[in-house]
Amino acid sequence: MRILLVEDDELLGSGIVDTLSRAGHVVEWLKGGPLGLAALQGSEFEAVILDLGLPGMDGLDVLRRARAAGNKTPVLVLSARDAPGQRVAGLDAGADDYLVKPFDVDELIARLRALQRRLRGSASNVLEHGALRLDPAAGSVLHEGRPVVLQRREFTLLHRLLSSAGQVLTRAQLEESLYGWDGNVESNALDVHVHNLRKKLYPGVIRTVRGVGYVADPPP
Amino acid sequence: MRTYSIQAQLLAGTVALLLAVLGAAAWLGFDAGQDEAEELFDARLATSARVLAALLGMDGKVREGLTDPVIVALPAPLETAVHDAATPLGHHYETRIAFQVRDARGGLLMRSSSAPQAPYAPLEVGFSNQRFDGRSWRVFTLRSGELWIHAADSDAVRNELSGKIARATVAPLMVGIPLLLLLLGLLTRYGLAPLAELARQIARREPGTLAPIELARTPPEVAPLVESLNGLLERERRFTADAAHELRTPLAAIKIHAQNAARASGEAQRDASLGRMLAAVERSSRLAAQMLAFRRATAPHGHLAAQRASMRQVLEDALEEVSPALKERAQKIAVTTAPAEDDIFIHGEHEKLVSLARNLLDNAIRYAPAGSAIEVSLHLQPRTVVLSVADDGPGIPPELRNRVFEGYYRIPGTAGEGSGLGLAIVREIAGQHGAHVDIGEARPGRGTRITVTFPAIVPSR
Repeated sequence: MRILLVEDDELLGSGIVDTLSRAGHVVEWLKGGPLGLAALQGSEFEAVILDLGLPGMDGLDVLRRARAAGNKTPVLVLSARDAPGQRVAGLDAGADDYLVKPFDVDELIARLRALQRRLRGSASNVLEHGALRLDPAAGSVLHEGRPVVLQRREFTLLHRLLSSAGQVLTRAQLEESLYGWDGNVESNALDVHVHNLRKKLYPGVIRTVRGVGYVADPPP
Repeated sequence: MRTYSIQAQLLAGTVALLLAVLGAAAWLGFDAGQDEAEELFDARLATSARVLAALLGMDGKVREGLTDPVIVALPAPLETAVHDAATPLGHHYETRIAFQVRDARGGLLMRSSSAPQAPYAPLEVGFSNQRFDGRSWRVFTLRSGELWIHAADSDAVRNELSGKIARATVAPLMVGIPLLLLLLGLLTRYGLAPLAELARQIARREPGTLAPIELARTPPEVAPLVESLNGLLERERRFTADAAHELRTPLAAIKIHAQNAARASGEAQRDASLGRMLAAVERSSRLAAQMLAFRRATAPHGHLAAQRASMRQVLEDALEEVSPALKERAQKIAVTTAPAEDDIFIHGEHEKLVSLARNLLDNAIRYAPAGSAIEVSLHLQPRTVVLSVADDGPGIPPELRNRVFEGYYRIPGTAGEGSGLGLAIVREIAGQHGAHVDIGEARPGRGTRITVTFPAIVPSR
């Protein structure tokens, strides 16, 4: 999952980045309100973790402006403000979830998964795609009931494509999902991952759309 | 000075005032009644004398050769009656009304039985006051041809009347006073009820409860008291809430790095997480220490004017406390004092002044670049003692120079992990010492200079 983290605290931010990237997510970390808003509006993320007490612009303002501009990215607010009224204000400003500091890392990750699930309108985290079964919580993939061992980036790529099954994703979108902004992407790295996925699963799992990108066609 | 209950004061004051007013009313009533009665009785005395003269005149001359004077007696029962009621025979008071008729030479011709044998008054026309039988009498003397007529009544009659008038004036008031007092008591109790409730609420309060005080009825006299109490409670609550809030982020950082370390996939990952966790722990403990320092700074202070603190010693102690940080940042502190040889004293508390100086130095060390120099100066001026600390840091923009004194305020985007309490502590302590704090630039457009100006000790002669 590609996640935008907006958090001004150096130590907490680095901890969240460690946690999420070790869980296979790509994290973009920004430390100010205006920068966070610009990133949210200019780039695609599957989820946003937003602190409230930010320099430059309060997190709630970032959220309100993004929502006013029509941005629908799921947002999890991370805050030290724990009064019920403050949680209500956060949710009313457009947050999808509200987590009070200090928090448990497993809870943070579970809540992010829940946001994805809700976005798909699905009751379960598990993605079913024909004979394929991808479980993001367990990090496992089953093909015709057999476990398939995937590398971290292969898993992330498959997850991204299956989450938007039937929708063509551009090379740029997929590369951002895999590497974020500052990853050094070799020009054919994406093609290599696609090639490996086709080999480990079955050739038709991913279709190339020439000049655009890739798509996971809905199963027949 | 002894303090009396407000209710008792109000009641006592009102009673005293009321008694004074009533006394005056009674006296005035008595006086006015007496005057009126005087005039009425005088008129009647004169009328009686004239009627008597007319009657005697109709009979022609008083019979010649009369040896004994004629005595007009009262019916016997009236002589001895004691009650004041009228009877078919007349009135007991007739014994106090008397007359004498005398000839031109003063010889007694006729008298009422209540009148004495001796002449009532000299032979002069008009009103006069006389004493007879141990009583005061009012006498009217009339001359009619050859006859002198004295008509008299005793003062007892008159006083009784005016006394009755005065009593009639005062009596309803006497009944009214207790009623009024009762009403007044109830009114003051009602009026003071909000104070009583305030006292009850405070007494019933659990220790540590910081909820604001709310009264069912807050009259304008009590409102300032409730407001300032609630202001205090609010400050206390905000401090506690802020403290909890400020600790959440460092705690979250500690927790996440601890969890990351626990599930690290290799030694390098684990060490990185543990290192950051340690940094987060250090920051939390520094924050807690600053919170305590702020608490101590705002704690009630003794009589500062009675204490003397050596500013040289204060500076020395503060420098010693910051020396490890100074070494770590490879910075140097240059101290200049004037006068160079003598110590400089101000009225104040040593510990708090050290805390003030240390916080100024801490800020300079934290925000000035590593390896830079920090300038500290301590100057005795004619009326002031000026302590200033200047650094080469990023400086404080003029529009934020007031905000940085607020507790937990940090300039957005500032590197380093200040608690946001340092300058709040400085201002608090400075305020207690009657000093003011100014923020400026160390050099035009660069750095920060914070100047604290204390009042100097005025030499006693």
